[in-house]
Order: sequence, then C-alpha cells, then structure tokens
Amino acid sequence: MDLLRRFALGEIDAFETLVRQFQGDIFAWTLRIVRDPGIAEDLTVETLWRIYRARHQFRPDGNFSAWARRISTNLALDYLRRRRPEQSLPAEPAGSPEPDQLLQRETREKIQQAFRRLPAKLQVAATLALVEEQPYAEIADALGTSVGAVKLRVFRAVRILRKQLSHLGLRSEGNVSRVRK
Amino acid sequence: MTKHDMTEHGMSDDDRQIRDALQQSFPAVNTELRRDLWPAVLRKLDTRPVRVPWYDWALIGLSVSVFLFFPQLILVFAYHL
Repeated sequence: MDLLRRFALGEIDAFETLVRQFQGDIFAWTLRIVRDPGIAEDLTVETLWRIYRARHQFRPDGNFSAWARRISTNLALDYLRRRRPEQSLPAEPAGSPEPDQLLQRETREKIQQAFRRLPAKLQVAATLALVEEQPYAEIADALGTSVGAVKLRVFRAVRILRKQLSHLGLRSEGNVSRVRK
Repeated sequence: MTKHDMTEHGMSDDDRQIRDALQQSFPAVNTELRRDLWPAVLRKLDTRPVRVPWYDWALIGLSVSVFLFFPQLILVFAYHL
C-alpha cells in the first residue's frame, strides 16, 4: 500500500515519513509569508497537526504537497489577521548607524508599517508575488483562488500601498526607490 | 496604471518601484529549517483535547431538568445572580 493511502488510514509511521519529507517545504512557504522563523516553526507544527487531524478528508490520489501548502497558507493568513500592524519584525543587528543609514532604516520601517496595515489577504498575495516573486499560479493554488483573483489582490495592495506611502511623505519615485539594504 | 496594464503587460514603472522598495524593506529570509519538527508534532498529537468531566454533564442535565419541571425557579435563580 502506498504512503499516502497508509497516511489517509491513520498510520502514524506513514505520517512521520510525510512530515520528514515535507516539513522543510511547509516551513519555507510559511516563512515567506510571516517572515519570522520562530512563528513559521510554530505554524508548521500546527499545519502538520491539522494535516493529521484532517487525514480522512485527503484523497490518496491527490497532491499532498498542494494540500499541505493550502492548509499552511490559511494558518499564516489567520496569524496575520490576529497580529497587530504595529508588531515589529525581528530586530536588525545592533550598531551605531550612519545618519544616511538611519534615514534609510526609517524609510524601510515606514514601508513595513504601511505594508502591515494592508488587509491580510492582500499582504499574503503581495508578499508572495512581489517580495518573493513566486509564480501567480502557485500563489493561486495555495490561496485556493484563481490567478485573476491573485492579480487583483496584488493590484489592490500596490494601489493602497502607494496611497499610504504618499501619506507618510514617501513618494514612489522619490525616497522609496532609494531604500537600500 | 489600470488593471489592464497589470495583467497584460506585467507592471508599470511605478509598480516596479513599489516592488523594489518592498524587496529592500523585507530582506530575503533564510528558509532552511533548523530542526526536525517531528517531536513537536508528536507531542501535539499526544495532547488530548480538553474534555468536560461526566459530573459536569450530570450537573448540567440536573439543572435543565429542574428548570423544566419548576420554571418559576428561573426567576429565583435570576434574582440571585
């Protein structure tokens, strides 16, 4: 009997094999969305737990990886909805920055804040499409929607972001394009 | 830029600048998993869901029966809340 069929029947050994095989992929995908390794690890464990609990809903002839990715994307979305926009990213390495670096850091923080104020669905679509440059088809599959819907979300995210950044005194052809790592 | 531009021709210059700014503001993350998560998954699987003990169900059943047979007690109960 193949691995996926044994998993669907609840065999723990089969599930362990699947966890070892897919945990890295699920973690990497989740991390691309939440951008915090600690949170991504917790969400990966939660995803794997949910996968086991929902094993009866899985069709053994289906695509396990795509199914797992959809569950992890939904969990990451829930996390982004719960998280307050003010919550910051993991701290950058400490040091005494040059005034120019300080300005760049400030600009970067403003962009991050504006991004975090976007609705979670738009954030996920924009992160995966613009920051991570993942194919639209893959994003659509993970979000359980169409490619057109993903493009629309990215379009809306860019439009809102542009507005918010100009409110913050950053124009796309000005400071924004000068941000450097 | 219109929706049409976005789907037909990819991105406008303005959008490309927003994308570049985002990529610089959210630096690349190392997506390598640092540890095996199987032990944590196993621990989570072993955690039993919180169960309501049988005597709590009995108490709930008793209360419902009392209120069904003596509905005037609801007022007394409500007064003392």
